[in-house]
Parts: sequence; C-alpha cells; structure tokens
Amino acid sequence: MSVLQKSLHPDEKYKAGKLGSGLSNIGLGIAAVFLGVSIALGAAQGDHWKRFFYAYVIGWSYIFSICVGVFWLILLHHLVRGRWATVVRRIAEAMTMAFPVVFVAGLVFVIALLAGYKDLYYWAHPDAALCLEKTATGCHEYLHPTLVHKLGWLSPEFFAGRYVVYGVLFTAMAAYFAKKSRQQDDSGDPKLSENMRVASGPAMILYSLLTCLAAFDVLMSLAPKWYSTIYGVNFWGSSCVGGFAALGLLVLGIQRTGRLTHSVSPEHYHDIGKWMFAMTFFWAYTAFSQFMLQWYGNLPEETVWYKYRLFGEWQWVSIAMLVGFFAFPFVFLMSRWTKRIVPSLVFFAVWQLVFHWLDLYWNAMPSYDWTVQQHGAAQIVVGPMTGNTAYHHVGFSPIDLTVWLGLVGVLLFGIGRNLRGNLIPVKDPTLGLSLAHENL
Amino acid sequence: MSDEHTPVPSSPGSGGDDLEHGGTAVRRDGRLFGVLAEYDTPGELVEAARKVRDAGFTEFDCYSPFPVHGIDEAMGIKRTILPLLIFGGGFAGTIGGLLLQWWCNAYNWPWNISGKPSWSIPANVPIAFETTILLAVFTSFFGMWILNRLPQVWHPFFRNERFNHVTDDAFLIGIEARDRRFDPVATAKLLTDAGAITVERVHLDPDPEVRQMPKWITAFIVASTAFALIPFAIAAKARTSHSAEPHIHIFPDMDFQPKYKSDQAMDLFGDGRENRGEIAGTIARGSLDADDTFYRGIEHGGDGDHWTTAFPRQIEINDQLVRRGKNRFEIYCTPCHGHDGRGMGAVPQRVAAAGGAWLARNLVDASNPVAINMPNGQLFNTISNGYNTMMGYAAQIPHADRWAIVLYVRALQRSQNAALDDVPPDQRTGMQMPEAPRP
Repeated sequence: MSVLQKSLHPDEKYKAGKLGSGLSNIGLGIAAVFLGVSIALGAAQGDHWKRFFYAYVIGWSYIFSICVGVFWLILLHHLVRGRWATVVRRIAEAMTMAFPVVFVAGLVFVIALLAGYKDLYYWAHPDAALCLEKTATGCHEYLHPTLVHKLGWLSPEFFAGRYVVYGVLFTAMAAYFAKKSRQQDDSGDPKLSENMRVASGPAMILYSLLTCLAAFDVLMSLAPKWYSTIYGVNFWGSSCVGGFAALGLLVLGIQRTGRLTHSVSPEHYHDIGKWMFAMTFFWAYTAFSQFMLQWYGNLPEETVWYKYRLFGEWQWVSIAMLVGFFAFPFVFLMSRWTKRIVPSLVFFAVWQLVFHWLDLYWNAMPSYDWTVQQHGAAQIVVGPMTGNTAYHHVGFSPIDLTVWLGLVGVLLFGIGRNLRGNLIPVKDPTLGLSLAHENL
Repeated sequence: MSDEHTPVPSSPGSGGDDLEHGGTAVRRDGRLFGVLAEYDTPGELVEAARKVRDAGFTEFDCYSPFPVHGIDEAMGIKRTILPLLIFGGGFAGTIGGLLLQWWCNAYNWPWNISGKPSWSIPANVPIAFETTILLAVFTSFFGMWILNRLPQVWHPFFRNERFNHVTDDAFLIGIEARDRRFDPVATAKLLTDAGAITVERVHLDPDPEVRQMPKWITAFIVASTAFALIPFAIAAKARTSHSAEPHIHIFPDMDFQPKYKSDQAMDLFGDGRENRGEIAGTIARGSLDADDTFYRGIEHGGDGDHWTTAFPRQIEINDQLVRRGKNRFEIYCTPCHGHDGRGMGAVPQRVAAAGGAWLARNLVDASNPVAINMPNGQLFNTISNGYNTMMGYAAQIPHADRWAIVLYVRALQRSQNAALDDVPPDQRTGMQMPEAPRP
C-alpha cells in the first residue's frame, strides 16, 4: 500500500490472446440476430421503415456516444498527464478504435438519406420550411423563418459529407493515440508519451467541435425548427456517463477471464465510478440549463420541444429520466463504497447504460409524429410536436429495443477487433504509478 | 536527566540537548513531551507508522511535507466523518435555499410578476443549487478546521529544529509521552529499529507562558473582531433611532461626482442652466414631424383642424398591414383590451378576481359606440398620448405601427359586429347565426 510505484505482477496475464476474436464473434452474433429480427419487424411495421430508421438513429447515437465518452478519458489522460488510467487505457483505446465500425454502421441511414429517403429527417423534403396558417380567406403560406435558413446546412448531400468528415477525423484521432500507444509497447520510448500529450490538446478541441456538430446533425435535426446551443454539450455529458459505465463493465469482464487480475484494483474502479458520478451530475446540470432557460424564456419556438416532453404520456419518461438518470444514481454514487464494491458499481453501470439509451430515446422519439400533406404542388410537413399533447404517445415499439441491441452487438464487434496484443501499455512510463494508484 | 539521554542519538541545538552540551544554556527543559523520529523516505515512514501502530500506540502522529499514500491505513486512522457532515451541510443548503425562496416569494411578500406563479420549483433550482454548494463548502472548510483542531498556533514539537523541515523534506513520527505505552528508552528503540535516521526527545518549555498564544495575537483577534462589529452596530443603531443628521457617505466621491447631470444649475452659461437646448431655428435630423396627419392624426380643413377620418397617404392599406396591426395589438393592447377588444384582457380579469376594478374601454361595443365612432385620427392620438388611466404609447410604438393598430382596431370592430351577410356566400357553409342578434 505504501509504495508510489509498482511493477507489473510477474504472473499477470496481460495478453489478449483469443479474447478479442471471442468478443467480436459474440458481437457479430448479437448483431446478426437482433438486426435480423429488427429488419423483419421493420418490414412488418408497414410504415415505410420509418420506425426502424428512428430506432436505428437512436441506436447508432448510442454506440457512437460510448466511443465518444471513452475517447474523452484517453484525451484527458494525455492532456493532464494522468496516471491512474494508464492500466485501463489500452482497453479504452480498443473501444475508441471501434469508431470506424460505428461509422460504417451509420452509413445505413446516411446512404438511405442520400438515396432520397425522406421519412427520417423531414428537412429532407424540399418544401420542409413551408408552413400554413389558416386564415379567414383560406391559407396563408409562409416559410419558417429559422428553418428556411437551415436547409442549406441540412441538405442530404452536405449532411452525408459532414458525416464522412466526422467518421474520418474521429477514426484518425483514435487511431493516432492507439498506434502511438502500441509503438511504446515495443520501444518503451518516453518521447511517445510526450507526442501524445502534445497531440491531445488540438485533438481535444477538434473532438469537442465534432461531438457537438454530430449531436446537432444526427439528433437535434430530428426537430429542425427547434434549437439549443447547449445540446451538443448535454449529449456529450450523457455520452461520458455511458462511456465510463461501458469501460467499467468491459474491464471487469476482461478480469473475469483471468486477465489483468493483479493490475486493475478497486482503486481504478473507484475512479471510473467517480467519473460516472461526475458526468451524471454534469449531464443533469446541462440538461437543466437547457430546460431552465427555455422554460423561463417561454418563447414558443423553444418551449414547444419541452411541451411535448413534459405533458401527456412523455411526462412519465421525463420523470423517469430525472429520477433514474440523475437523482437515484447521484445520491448513491456519491458514497465512496458504492464505487469501490464491484457488484454495486456493476449495478450502477448497467443502470446508467440503460438510462443513457433512454436519454437518447427521449431526445429523438417525441419528434417521430409527423406526416406529409399535399398542398397544391407542394408537400407540407405537418408536425412533429403540434396539436394536443394528449394525443402524443410514447408508442414504444419492440423494434426500438432490437435495433439498439443489434447495434450494441456491432459495437462489441468493433471493440473485439482491437482487443489484441497487450491489454496494458506495458512500457508506459506512468504504468508503475498507475498500478500503485490509491485514492486518498 | 542526562542519564536518560544516553541511548538516544541526538544532535546539537535540538530541544533536549542544550543543557547537556552546556554551551549556550539559554533554554531550560520542562517535562518530557515525547520523542520525534525522522525517516528518510515516505515509504519508510509508512512502514514505521505501521510498526508503531502494531506496538499499540495511539497518541502519535506522522508529519510529512505532502500527503503520503497509505499513511491513514498504516497509522490505523479511521475514515473521517467529514463527507457525512458535508452531505448534511449540502442537504441543509438545498432545503434552506428552497425555504428561503418560498418564504420570500410565496409567503411573506408574494408579488405578481407577469402572472407567473409565486412558487415554482424549476425557477428555484438555481438558488437552491447555489445554497447547496455554499453550505457544503462551508461545512467542508470549517469542518476540516474543527476536526483537525485547527488553528493550532503552538505545538511542543516546534521546539525541535528538525521539525522545521517538515514542510520541506522531513518525514517524522512523533510519539507523545502521554501514551500509556510510552517509555522513553523502549519507544526510542522501537523507532530506531523501524529505520529512523535520528530519534530525539522533545521537552516542554518550563515556562507555561511560552505554551500559550502570545498576548498580542489574542489582543489583535479581540480588537479586529470588535472593529468588524462596528458597521453592524451603526446599522443597528440607525434602525432603532431617529437622526436629523445627513446620510453617512462611505464613498463620497462616488455619491458626489464632479460632473453635471441633466437639468442642473450651472454658472458657466448665461441662462444659468447646464442643459444646452436645441439651437433656435434648427431641427434635429429625423425629427421633422411636419406632416400633421401622419404624426398627429390631424387634418387642416377650411373649417379648422379636425381628426382625420381616413388614413394618412403614407399608409398603404393591405393584408400585411392588418397582420402587423394584429401583431402589435396583441403585444401592447391585449393585456387590457383583450384579444377581441372587449376590454376584458388578462389584467382586468385578474384585478376583478382580486376584488378590484380595472376599466379598459370596450373598443367594439356597438351599444355604446364611443370607440367605433372615434375618427381614425383620434384613435391614433389616443394610442400616442393615452386616455384617462391609459398611458401613451408614443415612446414604444413607431408611428406607422400605431396606424397599423388603428387599422386592426377597425377590423376588430367590423368582425365583432358582423352579420352573416358580411361573409362571402361561398364561405357561409357551416356558419350559424346566433340565436339572438348581438346586443
């Protein structure tokens, strides 16, 4: 307990061996089964795949956000010359190296969008900004004052172009840190740590911008007339909750296979739990900041988003979010012991992973109820979020779950592909400090 | 005393040795306070602390320049209860913050602000959040001081020269003589066996004065506390007494600034005024409101001036202008006159509900057609300059918008007194005449 440095335990099993291929096979199996079921359900739905694509966007945001959350740990670790996370960094790197697989999985809805599919993002309709107001003498037509300006940004081609840029940049950044880290396994050159530290600053800026923009594009544009500048930050907070929960579970799963049993201690789980706790509060803080300003300002174009989440059936989901994603884990994760006792940490990690999905569902699904009506030569988009809130149902569908689980399988496949070689950066100069890490 | 010293390695200048070495016998020693052992590294300190703990000692402490990992466990120190206290403090802050807002806003002085509820949880969260943080941090900060029995201005180990390095590079264990297992020789041997570089005895100063806080510090604390209470005393006196004296100006140069404000007297100019008015015969750019019809609603006829019944020539009457008028009307007029112009907007309704009366003109009343019969110019003038308790809106609403409102009021008057014949025949389907014509 008293030493500041430790060396790797001689009996430590830190080689991945068949771990990665096993995990990716499991992931592929899950993905094949659940996505297969989802496709069957989607076809049976008879809604021109609309529900399927909504569920897909939520599921995709979920696996993307977990990579985003874990990547934060890597970037921050290098930026502040962190120590404790060195033992779990290689696993985190394997998780972020799922970015290419995640972005390939997302091509499903991006290509559909490019091919002219208009039932997911209604801004894909050419007349999306056209609005009607009934007057005494007929219909008054006008262009929605904010949406009309956004349609340049929200065009399928530009959207797809940005998506590719996000995919390439996230993959490149994740690959840079993973590659340098593995190089250090061979050479042990401390200069590589310095390289990563220098790169982590600009990467952090780029990472923040890309995360916000991706959240704006993929999730916020489901309700393109509404806007919130803190939306990306709020998405990021939720992502980090999911990311740290997933990291904790994965590390624990790896320990269950007999690997890393001497290296990862309750001290490291404690720190993962601390991050989960901190980001839970951060999520609540930004979510409340977004709500508070729009609720108090009471501008129709802003409050409408909350109106359809705080009244009708959706209010129960909102209450579940407040209690389940914030109040309950906040109060219990505050204690030192809930983070250090592994079963308790596992409980909260699984809990938060479920509620992280519910958060994305809550963000996306109230924007589902919209239809298109012919008006002369134009197609008018009616809804989402119009009319009496009592008629807006949560309308949960099994396809929401199956697509989510299928995409989690895709994520596991992407992670498993990269769990190879050393599971610990064996020659990292800070490894000794990390192994001896202790929370005061 | 000297025979006790023999087994203990010591160095000149340390507390216990001045007498023995005899050179500068300026310090005399009192009762033995304890032994102080120095270790080379934090690791050895932790190991030694563990041995001391295992030997059953309780009255000992470790001193190091920085927090040493694992020292709490090695010394057998129980976890602090400070986190629980902080949680309690934070919780008290949340409840206190909510209670404060409830008492101020909803109980003691409820005040209707734009019809918003006086008690609303979301609006109270930011304040409750701040008070939570405040009390949690206070508990954390002051709780740490109290639990550590700080501030401690004097400690017997201060007499030891090695102890001065404890904020620099020394790792020390001090065992106090009041521990029931303490034995000057055996305890020193234990510490030496645990790897100490040096072990020294520390004696109290025989003069009890030295052990107490210096009198000037006590005096300073008392004086500054008394001084800090003066403003409160003055405020308390001012609240309970009357005085013909002028205000106390704490920052007179802020209260009396060397500058002139509007409409003050000034000797510099012949008229004795600080204001410089408009130069005779000139008009400021954009202020030539020569068109009486547009700017004042007045027409000059052969029989004198009268309110215009038409709209000024600058105003083009179209659908867009009606919409503009509706929009402005709903912003400025509906709170009192209501959306339908019948004079029962939100304000009169609320005042009526509270038992009072707030009269707003029914603009569309055909049985008492004051507003209907007003010429356009008079309506415009009323909007500009007000009428009875209604204040003028000239400062808020530009002239063209005032004319748009006049136009919309005319439209309201038409629509609220419309008959079925006014509706184009192709749009009458589904419309039903009221059973009796409107009064």
